[in-house]
Amino acid sequence: MKNIKMMVMIGILGIGRVSGQIAKVDQEVYGMDCAPCAYGLERGLKKMDGLQEVRVSLNDGKAYLGLADKNGLTLRSIQEEVKKNGFSAKKAEVALMGNATKEDGQWFIETDKERFAVSQDTPTELIQKLAVGRTSVSGTVQDEEDDNLPGQWAIVLSKII
Amino acid sequence: MICRTVTKISLNIGYLKLILLLAVTGTAMAQGHGPLYGLQTPTLAKGGVDLNVAGMSLGTENETSYMLRYLFSYGITEDLQINLTTPTMIERLGDAPRTRGNSNMPANGDIEASLWYRFFSNAFGVGKRFESTAIVGVSAPTDDVRGQANVGNSVHAAISTGYASRTWYGWIGGGYQYYFEKDGEQLGDLLYASAVVGYRPNIFMGDYPKPDWRIFIESLAEFPGDNKFDGQLDFSDSRSTKVLVGPSFLGLYGVWGISFGAMFPVVQDLTPGTIKEKYRIAINLSYWL
Repeated sequence: MKNIKMMVMIGILGIGRVSGQIAKVDQEVYGMDCAPCAYGLERGLKKMDGLQEVRVSLNDGKAYLGLADKNGLTLRSIQEEVKKNGFSAKKAEVALMGNATKEDGQWFIETDKERFAVSQDTPTELIQKLAVGRTSVSGTVQDEEDDNLPGQWAIVLSKII
Repeated sequence: MICRTVTKISLNIGYLKLILLLAVTGTAMAQGHGPLYGLQTPTLAKGGVDLNVAGMSLGTENETSYMLRYLFSYGITEDLQINLTTPTMIERLGDAPRTRGNSNMPANGDIEASLWYRFFSNAFGVGKRFESTAIVGVSAPTDDVRGQANVGNSVHAAISTGYASRTWYGWIGGGYQYYFEKDGEQLGDLLYASAVVGYRPNIFMGDYPKPDWRIFIESLAEFPGDNKFDGQLDFSDSRSTKVLVGPSFLGLYGVWGISFGAMFPVVQDLTPGTIKEKYRIAINLSYWL
């Protein structure tokens, strides 16, 4: 049900809009063990412009983030905030809308500020559904080194909306 | 005699009440989220502020000290933290054992500034991490004489490494405090080590922002050197040996933390003239801005 709502939201946002952006992030966080840790991360994230909902779970080791309709946030800035709090940002489940492009057989989804390379681990049937142009997708962004966060991420798609 | 004893007990209870009251109504917090006495590793987030107020008491075979301590900590980066702690001495010991109050605070009336550097951190799972932290500090005394020796400024260095998870915790560390000579006299140095094991029972595994409690078993081994008088700056090799063990408890709720605990000596192999300890108790209230 949650996924359907998210798909509908992303679909609505995608209509008539040119810009690409992230709509939702479930960010996995390693090393966060106590209530003040969670509080610090929650407070830091809430200070970021463009975040509408922030919930931090110690037991899941995740920050659940709902992004505003118009936001300039990047996955990189979110993961930098995690690092600033002394933790390690790992994989992230994201929902985003952007432009799908294909270069030398490699699919990319581009938001205004970041680029997501569609991983070969994405199920073939999903890759076959990709079409150049506006698209909304959800998937898992692979972990990158905290000290060397890229401007381009690898994403394993789970849905094309 | 009986009257004096009763009066002293009443006074001590009064002090304890005062310490508790001040700790509870204080506007600051102290210890971070680790053990109360032993060395620990966590550092604040970049830009994070932690305020603490602690009440400490140390009982020897002859007398008892009471002290309030305030600690301000600031996270320069997520791995570098600066601390400043100041005391309010309610009752000083005439013959004070050399020890640390805890990893952030001196036990005696010293004002101390310290820097914590977390030089290694490996977060390898949900709630799990290994990390190591180095501590350096400088302090200035608020008393002139301690244990019949003039008290000078001192430097302190320590290192600790540990494991944290949602269920188990463990830290080991060691440190050294060196007092400079003052007017021909020098307070003995202090070599020490600590080991801590912590556990959070299942009933306290509620997710944030629910309250979060854990228990620690803490141990300290201390090897204080003898004081030096009359300008004889070559220390003899004689050192006392003390081992203390005790429980502490840490409760966290949102931005607040409270910890309290006690330590009791299990080994006291002391050089002549060194006073025996009976107990140490402490309570600490923390607030993260």
